[in-house]
Amino acid sequence: MKKYSGVFILILVFLGGIIFYQHSRFNDNKLHIVFCDVGQGDGIFIRTPSNKNFIIDAGPDDKIIGCLENHMPFWERNISIAFLSHPHLDHFAGFNYVIKRYNLISFASEDLNNKSASFQGLLSQLNDKKLKIQHLISGDSFKIKDGTRLSVLAPTKDFIDKTSPNGQIGENGEFASLIVLLSYGSFRAVFTGDSQASELKQAISDNSIQGTKILEVPHHGSKTGLRPEILDRLRPDYAIISVGAHNRYGHPNKFTLDLLNEFGIKTLNTSKNGDIEIISDGKNFKIR
Amino acid sequence: MKTAAISSILLLFFGVRVFLYYQNQPQFTEGQLVSFKTELHSEPKISNRQSLSANLGNRRILIITSSWPQYHYRDSLKISGKLESRVLKDRTKIFVLFFPKIEKQNSNNFLGVIVKVRQKFIAIFNKTLPSNYSALLLGITFGIKEKMTDDFFNELRITGVLHVIAASGMNVTLFGGFISAIFSFFLKRQLALFFSIFGILIYVVLAGFEASIIRAAIMGILAFSAQILGRQRLSSYGLILAGYFMVLLSPDTIFDIGFQLSFVATAGLLYIRPIFYSSESIKRILGNSLVGEDIATTISAQAATLPILLANFGIYSIWSIVVNALVLWTVPILMIIGGVGGVLGLFFDLAGKSVIFLSLPFILYFEKIIGVFSNFGGILKIENLSWQIVSGYYLLLGVVVYKLKNFKI
Repeated sequence: MKKYSGVFILILVFLGGIIFYQHSRFNDNKLHIVFCDVGQGDGIFIRTPSNKNFIIDAGPDDKIIGCLENHMPFWERNISIAFLSHPHLDHFAGFNYVIKRYNLISFASEDLNNKSASFQGLLSQLNDKKLKIQHLISGDSFKIKDGTRLSVLAPTKDFIDKTSPNGQIGENGEFASLIVLLSYGSFRAVFTGDSQASELKQAISDNSIQGTKILEVPHHGSKTGLRPEILDRLRPDYAIISVGAHNRYGHPNKFTLDLLNEFGIKTLNTSKNGDIEIISDGKNFKIR
Repeated sequence: MKTAAISSILLLFFGVRVFLYYQNQPQFTEGQLVSFKTELHSEPKISNRQSLSANLGNRRILIITSSWPQYHYRDSLKISGKLESRVLKDRTKIFVLFFPKIEKQNSNNFLGVIVKVRQKFIAIFNKTLPSNYSALLLGITFGIKEKMTDDFFNELRITGVLHVIAASGMNVTLFGGFISAIFSFFLKRQLALFFSIFGILIYVVLAGFEASIIRAAIMGILAFSAQILGRQRLSSYGLILAGYFMVLLSPDTIFDIGFQLSFVATAGLLYIRPIFYSSESIKRILGNSLVGEDIATTISAQAATLPILLANFGIYSIWSIVVNALVLWTVPILMIIGGVGGVLGLFFDLAGKSVIFLSLPFILYFEKIIGVFSNFGGILKIENLSWQIVSGYYLLLGVVVYKLKNFKI
């Protein structure tokens, strides 16, 4: 029997070692933003200095899971808020997998529906978990005790009514998508989902965007997302494009890349760089 | 003389059965409208569509349908649609039904409970461990196939340990051997055997009463009871008869890789393993070292299953035997942690999770070993294995085993 208890203690020591290692690696009192390499789609993970977890979109499949696992300790399963920028498959399908493995404390999106079987399937899964979708609109914001703040810059109700009068999201052309500003100390990052230039331009008229360091290039770098006046106002240090290699839409578009180049903005791309992690202490930031 | 007579009667009976079975198989052609009932034997794959694998007669067909409503393992479905034929990546031809009409039938209560329990297991494991680890542990413990990343799956495949995540006679044998060792620590030999068989039966229920697991359990019980009781001849007859009746009941079983692996691995444990113990000096070395017993078990099972593994998994590493020897000892421990954690988790979430956490050191070790060895190279790539080579191999193996058995060091 002595042998078995010895082995048992050894296991506990190893387990303790693993927990200690992960604890010191992931709980460093800094803000972490990860643009996950989810292929053609968006999936962003945010971990605040006090270890609160947020997701903005979950990509088209289960690739988001591996990314989440690599950026938080294995015993943590709470996601404070899961944001869905807009109900398109390449942004929401991954939530089907996230729901099975993580406890979503709340789920937030814009007030738009999608009749497709896959989205209705997701809604019914959220319903099974007794999660109600919080509908967000420009002006809403979430403040976390550690000083992190998530503010919704767009869409406005008018914009939704104009682009989707029937409450259903369009497949092409202009449709509304959440634009979220993350701020911590003097650090700012803007997440744009699949928004179009007109929505983004309106969203950044607010002064809270001063000092934006990181800009997610809208709609996987499509032609219709950026305009010179947007970059002129935001002046980000880095632009991040979440895109799959060899996608059938030709994203990212050359016009957009040239424009970013013209403004001297460094560009990173998930299809080339893999998961892109940005770490900030509220003043400076670095990219890993 | 008597054995010969019985064998010929059994063989004749078998021939008639196989003839009738294949004679009565319905034929299908492309474009044909079909309507049939089937039960799902695996969890559907879901992307933006859902793909189910089902049986039509004795053929496997693929069904593509929308991602909602979600179907699950063991769902009983009535499906009607038009057959179309497609060629898969590995160049096999298969019938596919695109968006057929699917009605869900009520399945019976007992199976319904088992399915619920299995889904609960999956949920607990997935909420406790990282995805690759939970897939590995679910595979090892219950033979449940959950998706893992391609990289991880390939590492398992290249290093030749993929068999641990299939419910095979090997897992059941290792599990039985481990618990019987624990039981015989406290109890008499026969009593220990009785409790071990009882343990295996509980395992069969937990693993969802799947045909492959029942078969594996029967063969596993035969193999390790022989080890405990030391009655080898009896178990050989038992194994052959068990295999015979399984194939008689459903002739397609013989093409099932799981069946082939369980049968041949068990035969390997019965015939090859004792060779290691025929010499006193080797026996002492094996008994004293930590992984000695597992090396003997692994080599026996590997030698017997090599051609099947080569023919079915294609890639095979020359390090496979080393890797198996290094990791197989964790399998029964992981099965017990997984089983106890899963069952506890049905009632007390936190208690189940805490037990499952104990598997982490073992899984990390497992992962590191296969990670290191999968990068070592030494991969034998075999596209086609002719039946001449296979039968030559088994003939040679038979001769070697026969010779060594009568040879004392």
